Amino acid sequence: MSDTASPPDTAAANRIVFAGSLSEKKALRYTPAGVPVVEGRVTHASEQIEAGLKRKVECELGVVALGETAKLLNAAQPGQNLRITGFLAARSRNSRQPVLHVITIEFLEGNENAQTLWQA
Amino acid sequence: MPVVRVALDVPLYRTFDYLADDATAADVGCRVKVSFGRGRKVGIVVAVGEDSDLPRHQLKPVDGILRDLPALPADWFRLCEFAAAYYQAPLGEVMLQTLPTALRRTDPPKARAIKPKAAKAATAPALPELTADQQAALDALGAAPPGFAGWLLHGVTGSGKTEVYLRLIADTLAAGRQALLLVPEINLTPQLEARIAARFPGVPLVSLHSELTEAARLRHWKAAFEGSARIVVGTRLAVFTPMPELGLIVVDEEHDPSFKQQDGMRYSARDVAVLRARGLGIPVLLGSATPSLESWANAQPGPQQRYRLLTLAARAVAGARLPDIRLVDTRRETLEDGLSPALIAALEARLARGEQSLVFLNRRGYAPVLACPSCGWVSRCKRCAANLVLHLKDRRLRCHHCGLEAGIPRACPSCGNQDIHPFGRGTQRLEERLVARFPEARILRVDRDAARSRKQWEALLEQIHPDEAAGTPRADILVGTQMLAKGHDFPHLTFVGVVGADSGLFAADFRAPERLFAMLMQVAGRAGRAELAGEVLIQTEQPGHPLFAALLAHDYPAFAARELEERRQAGFPPYTYQAMLRAEAPDMADSLAFLKAAKALPILAAHPAVFAYDPVPMRMARLANLERGQLLFECGARPALQAFLADFTPALAALPAPGRLRWHLEVDPLEC
Repeated sequence: MSDTASPPDTAAANRIVFAGSLSEKKALRYTPAGVPVVEGRVTHASEQIEAGLKRKVECELGVVALGETAKLLNAAQPGQNLRITGFLAARSRNSRQPVLHVITIEFLEGNENAQTLWQA
Repeated sequence: MPVVRVALDVPLYRTFDYLADDATAADVGCRVKVSFGRGRKVGIVVAVGEDSDLPRHQLKPVDGILRDLPALPADWFRLCEFAAAYYQAPLGEVMLQTLPTALRRTDPPKARAIKPKAAKAATAPALPELTADQQAALDALGAAPPGFAGWLLHGVTGSGKTEVYLRLIADTLAAGRQALLLVPEINLTPQLEARIAARFPGVPLVSLHSELTEAARLRHWKAAFEGSARIVVGTRLAVFTPMPELGLIVVDEEHDPSFKQQDGMRYSARDVAVLRARGLGIPVLLGSATPSLESWANAQPGPQQRYRLLTLAARAVAGARLPDIRLVDTRRETLEDGLSPALIAALEARLARGEQSLVFLNRRGYAPVLACPSCGWVSRCKRCAANLVLHLKDRRLRCHHCGLEAGIPRACPSCGNQDIHPFGRGTQRLEERLVARFPEARILRVDRDAARSRKQWEALLEQIHPDEAAGTPRADILVGTQMLAKGHDFPHLTFVGVVGADSGLFAADFRAPERLFAMLMQVAGRAGRAELAGEVLIQTEQPGHPLFAALLAHDYPAFAARELEERRQAGFPPYTYQAMLRAEAPDMADSLAFLKAAKALPILAAHPAVFAYDPVPMRMARLANLERGQLLFECGARPALQAFLADFTPALAALPAPGRLRWHLEVDPLEC
């Protein structure tokens, strides 16, 4: 897709770092060309500063990993803490909901995701 | 010096004169080697005389008259002449193309001497007892005076039509005549051939179909032609086989579209069979569980009646009855991989009882299309107006129309997304899901991909219905296409589940309901043919469709009556007669311009009974890089249409057309 690839700055404008626990993981599947795919959801919870005040935030994002990263994600257990870098893309033409596509994936121990986890 | 008039396999509506010093009137019907253009060809002598329209010095001498075979008989000439005139094909094409390839070669390969198989001195088996219906049908056939008679045998699935054929063949053989049995599919021939051979031990039987080697086809054809073969079983091409003592023609599954040749001379072997029987003054029997509406209309009482109707209403095996057919309304059910809970439960019950099931899906491949969910790209064939079908087993994309193949792209060619999806369901996908759902079951997929050769097909049959002695385990669940719907007898099959049949309900072709009904009736007929009761579940989103009401009641006559009434009101065949002119060129504009010019020919005005539609692109507008248009002619009477075509075809041949445009005319087209 080199002829239509975005210039580097627009690609960089869609780069997300997202950490949280793996709340859902679907079975490993393969594309028709044989590339492994794993889809899941990652639940994030943290404290953030907003307009000068601390607040708790929670959110959940669908994630999808292809190729080598799919094997890594497939090895993760539900509840495992992960730090994912990646980009957002619409789920499909019909659903514009963003899904995080994995570029790198880090397994985190306990609460060491550089944030204080909010305990429900 | 005598002049021979020769028919050659060239697309020209004429014969060619040559000089032959040794020709006599007895050579009419012999093959002849001639030089034609820059090459040599084998033709057939159609006349020997002293005159030619051309001056003598322009005539070339023949290379030689081939007298290795007896001359082709006069009745064969008449049949070819009729077919050529009726189907608007050059006589030479008809004559030569219906001969085995080996006889058309200028340098035929040397024939190997084949040791004749020692006929097994088996004794004739005991005849099965006839049902009342079979007996009544045979009585009616037997009571008919000798001479031509057209019979339509309407027998429900499993009612023993074949037994009626066998008895008739026995009578024909006893009278010292040959019998010709036409079947739609090569796949049916091994079973049927074996059954006939077992019934008539020691009687020479040959088969004729396109999968024979050139040498075998020649050998079989010669045996039929010389009269040594007493029974000929063959597909549509066999209808032209000259047989000196032909006394009976049977057309099995007469409704089957494969009796219609779709290239070269587009003839209907069923219709040619009826005409041949009429010419010879012999009976012809058309058999089917779901006769074509044309044949059914011809068998209805009234001034138009051409065939006498024979009915086998009950199944032949004692205790066997027609299967219960039920519908599953898929609008109200949650489907698991396209299968309803009722269908899955039925499969489970058969597995538990050790009986066989068939899940019928008339779409081969893994999925009918590969698509990108992100950008909407779909795997289109670049040469056709069709999608490439995903064949995951072979990791290929294939066009089922032109045969184009491609590898599976790693990513969407349009947006780069790797996560492209197969959409829809084919037999391979259904098989995969059934394997996952019933891991303990032996699941066998039976479609044209699994049975590419006759050998593979026979191996599959061996797993479907194993020889008890061989000890091959029997398949529990069959996943199959229409390949399995025709004429097979699998005694352990008690359940048929039909998925994805709805598309046939709303197709644009007016024959689609007829085909769907026939297909469903045939596939349903596979269930419960022996003592075990059969059950059929059809998944549909249109349970209220009238087609299903007739199907559930096993009421072909009701379906046919309703469908014929609709055809009559709409003015469709069999109440009108059609001819289709098709043109194909790299550019649709050229195709349509040619058809427009054809429609503007003054001949049409001279035949006011013939109605011409407007030239339009064909439904499958593009095939193998050619863009195709069609022009349909319709007429209330067959003779009037024929009179028009006889004038029209020569004018058409004289019509200027771009170099890359091809056209053909089809009489009684099956697809409009």
